[in-house]
Amino acid sequence: MKETPEKTTHFGYKTVDANDKASMVADVFHSVAAKYDVMNDLMSFGVHRLWKRQTIASSGVRKGHYVLDLAGGTGDLTAKFSQLVGDTGQVVLGDINSSMLKVGREKLHNLGLVGNIDYVQMNAEALPFPDNSFDVITIAFGLRNVTDKNKALRSMYRILKPGGRLLVLEFSKPKHEVLSKAYDFYSFNLLPTMGKLVANDSESYQYLAESIRMHPDQDTLKGMMEEAGFEQTTYQNLTGGIVALHRGFKY
Amino acid sequence: MASEHSEIESTTCNDASQFLLLPQIVLSIIEKVLNQVLVLDPLLSQSLETIQHKRLIVEIRDWQQALQIVFDGKRLHLFTAARDSDYDCLISADINTLLTLKNPAMLTQLIRQDKLDLQGDLNIAQTYSGAFSKLNIDWPEQFSKYMPDAAAQQLYLNLKSIHHNALNASTKINALVSSLFQDELAVTIHPLELAQFKQRNRDVKNHVSALEQRINVLIRTLN
Ligand SMILES: C[S@@+](CC[C@H](N)C(=O)[O-])C[C@H]1O[C@@H](n2cnc3c(N)ncnc32)[C@H](O)[C@@H]1O
Repeated sequence: MKETPEKTTHFGYKTVDANDKASMVADVFHSVAAKYDVMNDLMSFGVHRLWKRQTIASSGVRKGHYVLDLAGGTGDLTAKFSQLVGDTGQVVLGDINSSMLKVGREKLHNLGLVGNIDYVQMNAEALPFPDNSFDVITIAFGLRNVTDKNKALRSMYRILKPGGRLLVLEFSKPKHEVLSKAYDFYSFNLLPTMGKLVANDSESYQYLAESIRMHPDQDTLKGMMEEAGFEQTTYQNLTGGIVALHRGFKY
Repeated sequence: MASEHSEIESTTCNDASQFLLLPQIVLSIIEKVLNQVLVLDPLLSQSLETIQHKRLIVEIRDWQQALQIVFDGKRLHLFTAARDSDYDCLISADINTLLTLKNPAMLTQLIRQDKLDLQGDLNIAQTYSGAFSKLNIDWPEQFSKYMPDAAAQQLYLNLKSIHHNALNASTKINALVSSLFQDELAVTIHPLELAQFKQRNRDVKNHVSALEQRINVLIRTLN
């Protein structure tokens, strides 16, 4: 079957050919990789660390678990997981982008975290693992960059063990109008400017702001997870819904 | 009616504390401080060795909060816990009761008195209680060190005065929590404040674009 040439998707607010999105997203993350951690702290006033703590808290991870930190980038979640699964567990840091993986590997090595972490380049839409492999999968600030989100969710469901859980940490829709306005101003005016001043890359941060707005809201994402097969799907709004943590189980 | 009212009030507090992720902030600071102590005190690590990777959940009934503690052999991890979190040992009691656990011998006594509920492996709770009872940490001082901005300054002052007054431990914590909640409630925005905020935003925006132009000029001159 031939792919329809007209198949399109969103790249931020732009409509682009679906086949091009992955490489455009790749360009964004190649260009931000080196400054990624600094920008993360700056842009979120350090709050991303708390969002990530909450993700770990909800993961139910324990010694011996097999964990996939998908779109794991520079490995913040992997670092904690690696300590919690211990020497009988294993964490896979998976990302589509080699520059991000490289920065992540260096960072975790420097933290002395070795022995139970694998670094694997992969596309969330076609995960290179057998069925029923993982106890926990997380995807933090990654899903909105994926071209076919439904396909990615189905792929995650497939490789999760029965009883395992998926956690999706992602920007979402603020609950209150006021917060929503302030947040819009912040992300469309200040964010790209900060990106320009610190990383000399306002376009990537413009993309960031746009991709956040195009991402499905809380209930839509919950529905998508259910459609992919997840059960007992719930979400928790963090920081007034600027970010939401979705959780679903496979039984 | 009275109970309804207090319920609404406590929801507002919880919402605010959720918004600011306060439990996560507080736990991350406690975690940091305890891990510094662990580095300096090898005996403490040793005393926790037998319960490596065992998950203890501590439920503070009157605060409606629960936290989980894990020792991975090198570091302690502290997180919020949910109702459905798995555990190897769970203890549940009021904050006042929990604070008396500084004396490990109290554990079984409190269970017998029905003041403390324990499920799972008693040894885990006993080991933690034994290990922590030896610690002597100046918490207010530690908190002041790790909370950076202006809001924290207020917290620091509150903590300092509480500290100086040498109130007992539970009053200290209650006062801390209520002052945190008061700070949070002040976060709600009045329409006038919003208008001011918008105006200030416009100013900032203008400044930013002016700055941007100056930077562009500078870059051009450098090139
Ligand atoms: C914003 S970063 C998040 C990194 C990390 N999880 C964190 O929270 O700090 C998004 C990551 O998603 C990765 N990514 C984008 N599309 C992907 C895909 N289709 N499959 C796997 N990873 C992808 C990017 O390379 C990037 O490292």
